[in-house]
Amino acid sequence: MWKRRSLWEPYLLLLPALVVLGGLFVGGVVLGVAQSFGYFPLLGLKEFTLKYYTEILSSSEFLDALGYSLYISIISSVVAVVLGVFLAYQLAKLPKKHSIVKLIYKLPIIVPHIIATLLVFLFFTQSGLLSRILYNLGLIEQLESFPALVFDKQGIGIIFVYLWKEIPFVALITYTVLKHINTSFEEVAANLGANHRQIFWHIYLPLSLPSIGSAFIIVFAFSFGAFEIPFLLGPTYPKTLPVMAYQKYISSDLMQRPYAMVIAVVLTLICVALIYLYKKSIDLVLRYN
Amino acid sequence: MENRSKLLRLTLIYTLVFVLLFPLLVLVIWAFTGSWPWPNLLPQSWTLEGWKYFLNPVNGALEALKTSFLIGLGVTILSLIISIPAGKALGIYDFPGKEIIKILVLAPIIVPPLAVTLGIHINFIKFGLSDSMMGVIIVHLIPTIPYSIRILTHVFEGVGNKLEAQAQVLGASMWQRFIHVTLPLIYPGIFSAGIMVFIVSFSQYFLTFLIGGGQVVTFPMVLFPLVNSGDRMLAAVYSLVFILAALIFTLIMERLFKSGDERSDHFYL
Repeated sequence: MWKRRSLWEPYLLLLPALVVLGGLFVGGVVLGVAQSFGYFPLLGLKEFTLKYYTEILSSSEFLDALGYSLYISIISSVVAVVLGVFLAYQLAKLPKKHSIVKLIYKLPIIVPHIIATLLVFLFFTQSGLLSRILYNLGLIEQLESFPALVFDKQGIGIIFVYLWKEIPFVALITYTVLKHINTSFEEVAANLGANHRQIFWHIYLPLSLPSIGSAFIIVFAFSFGAFEIPFLLGPTYPKTLPVMAYQKYISSDLMQRPYAMVIAVVLTLICVALIYLYKKSIDLVLRYN
Repeated sequence: MENRSKLLRLTLIYTLVFVLLFPLLVLVIWAFTGSWPWPNLLPQSWTLEGWKYFLNPVNGALEALKTSFLIGLGVTILSLIISIPAGKALGIYDFPGKEIIKILVLAPIIVPPLAVTLGIHINFIKFGLSDSMMGVIIVHLIPTIPYSIRILTHVFEGVGNKLEAQAQVLGASMWQRFIHVTLPLIYPGIFSAGIMVFIVSFSQYFLTFLIGGGQVVTFPMVLFPLVNSGDRMLAAVYSLVFILAALIFTLIMERLFKSGDERSDHFYL
């Protein structure tokens, strides 16, 4: 009796979650794909077509947006992971009396991205705090000589928002893992004459690598799919993919919607490919350990 | 040598923390700024106008804050109801298809919610869920459920099934087992998950905007145009209220529901 119940019990327990995930998430993906292939009954479109894909994928507006999105996400995620892991490692080594730092560094995590965007406006616009400080230091003479760091094609302002939010996030995940690593590894290595650097590269880093990897994936995917930040801080051209998808979607010309869906599908595919690569590389790393 | 590297470490870490926190200090200053012409380093005059504007019911800020709280609570309760059994299944049982389900659970963290929501928007309209609070609560489940299931799975992995099985042997019914055995054990995890879900829902802009269709006015919805229009003082006031509200909620939850030694990070994934 116990045995039989155990068989279907996990599925029963998962049922509500599966209904919600299936209905909303899978449903959303499937509908998006259907609409991107031109199945749009509301508009009277029922023919399967690749037209929207070929048109979008060959347009320079899309390619520029893709490049711009990848550029912003890669730069911000790589820098966030490097600095976040560094911060986590330093935090783990921090003497007890400084433990207040361990509490306050997490503050940016609960601050929403819109507010982080406002912070960038306060600091990096031409009349922002940074340009005031530079003026008072005598480094710039007038407002106009401060470089444009928002609405810029380099995406500096956007990248700053992500860094400010994501460094503590990566640090938090990595720190939690580091804290749970058995200290006797370090003691043994130190006993055998390993220095701090060796201990970090050969013990802590490999042991925390899977978590660092998943932190990278999360921050990359987030910045790649985020709408508010590039919408508020980005230049009019190039746009990021989410902004471009949104603008096609809300266009009063409903025939633009399938194009929006193509972009949404591309976003999804790139993120799925990322998970796949991550799984593969983790398997590879684990095999050699 | 040892001392020098220690000093260097402290300098670096305090610099980084300063860089992370200094912007928030400037935000506080802006919230009370009357006029602050370039290139002054400090405001020339101070004012409480922004706060008066915020508190004036005509401007709807408090109403929006209330809506945000209600939606956040609704999302938290719903996602916990869904995630507790799911966490139990994934944390305790082994069954065919478990790996696929685990990937499905995590997928919404990776696949941009924007992509999913654009696809499903049309069905929300069809079922009359768009432009309504209920619709917004439901759509907020997409970005929140992965976190709560993930956290509760961890918790159940740690707790195991033994005590519950024992209670069953002793004749406790399913409800008795849940209320008296399982619930006390997973209690800290429930609140970690709850806080996480609440914060994610509370900060949501795009999903609310698309599904709520401008009819459901949450706090980020009133904040967004302020940031966009460049009214720095007012935007700073609203942001400060927002951060304080989230912070106070988190702290109250921690104080109320967790004892000191359990107050660890459950954010990890």
